[in-house]
Amino acid sequence: MRNVITYLLMVRVDSASMSGLHLSRGWLSDACVLANQELVSGRSLVLCCATVIVLCATVIATMLTLHFTKDILPDSVNNDFQNINKFNEPQFMNLIEIIFQFLLEPKETERFMQQLSAFAGEHGMSPGPLKNLMKSVLMVPQGALKKSLTAQQVKEDLLTLGLNEDKAAHFSKQWGDHSAVLSRRAIGQTLMVNQLVDMEWKFGVTVGTSEIQKVGNISLQLKLVIRKGSSTENVYMELTLPQFYNFLHELERAKTSMDCFS
Amino acid sequence: MAAPFDEQFFVSLELLLKSPSKDALRELFSQSYRQVATEGGRLAQRTAEDLDIPFAQAQQLLQCLHSLAHHVVFRGLTRPQQIQDLFPASFHASLKNLITKILLELSPAWRSEAIQTHISLPQLKAFDWRVDMVTSSDSVSRMAVPSCLLSLQLGEDRVVVESSRETLDTMLDGLGRLRQQLALVAGK
Repeated sequence: MRNVITYLLMVRVDSASMSGLHLSRGWLSDACVLANQELVSGRSLVLCCATVIVLCATVIATMLTLHFTKDILPDSVNNDFQNINKFNEPQFMNLIEIIFQFLLEPKETERFMQQLSAFAGEHGMSPGPLKNLMKSVLMVPQGALKKSLTAQQVKEDLLTLGLNEDKAAHFSKQWGDHSAVLSRRAIGQTLMVNQLVDMEWKFGVTVGTSEIQKVGNISLQLKLVIRKGSSTENVYMELTLPQFYNFLHELERAKTSMDCFS
Repeated sequence: MAAPFDEQFFVSLELLLKSPSKDALRELFSQSYRQVATEGGRLAQRTAEDLDIPFAQAQQLLQCLHSLAHHVVFRGLTRPQQIQDLFPASFHASLKNLITKILLELSPAWRSEAIQTHISLPQLKAFDWRVDMVTSSDSVSRMAVPSCLLSLQLGEDRVVVESSRETLDTMLDGLGRLRQQLALVAGK
């Protein structure tokens, strides 16, 4: 009987993720056949197995409660962090420096790859596995940035993932030091439509026109530079004085409204 | 713009003596100001009928009225004497005074219309704004960042522009300095 239950549980674990209790028809029919063979009720057997599955899932979920993600991570991530524990302190600090340099300038992927290759060369390891290792490590700061985690939470996550105390403390300290800059960068990346990039103005007096020889109007000319996709567009406009004062008044009201909400 | 007026010009103007009333004359000046004489086929036809003159003469008359009105607006003639000095001494005195009076009455409106419609960059006709609070994005799942949308109606086109708080502050800073400069100029 124990073998029956073990067999059913192994099939269940292999076939699907533990996070759902989806019991496939195939599994249910296997359970019924085996129940008949063992002369027990099929329903009892299924209920028993389902209970065990739920308990296992709860235990696993509790063990791997992470702040930076709610997803179940593959086993390779745990292995990667165990491998990182094998680096000595100078190596680890060097690696962390490379990682944070990349996080602060994420467009510099070429430089990041070159630095990792150089690091691998210096310490006699192959670059391929090192890069895979870094992929796992980068998940933590990238997730932490999304969730705006504190240094303490990052440290807890690293310890949960199997990194040793010293390394986790160093990493989380670096995180704490750089988090303000990284957050500002992330916020700055927020999508903006027709973003206003620059404004220039000049004001002058219209001296004469083809209709009137002597005129004396003051007019203000504005040029707004707007980012549209990857290029910029200039928008030119002219305002009379009353329009300018009205424009300024409305902008001040908009600013007051913005200040209220922060 | 203002060509010197020759004798033929004033001969044409004297045709106005045939006008039925002062109001009709005023109306004629008003309509001829806007229209270029060569286009005013219908107006010329009506004028020819009202004044009982040939079509060609009516067209020439309208051309003269148009030129005279534009000359008065261009030079900014605001005193009666300035306008009367344009006419030769032999010109019909009452007609001269009537024309002067009508031109002085209509030229301020023509002048402001010319100022309104002179060439310029697209005028800002209307302006609306909206302040949003960005609560989430693909790079940060929880945030509270205000953002401002400005809608500018420029002539026929409408442009919507988004700006962050810092950009809006910088813009206001610049425009505030402009206001100070304007106040200085006005004070002088």
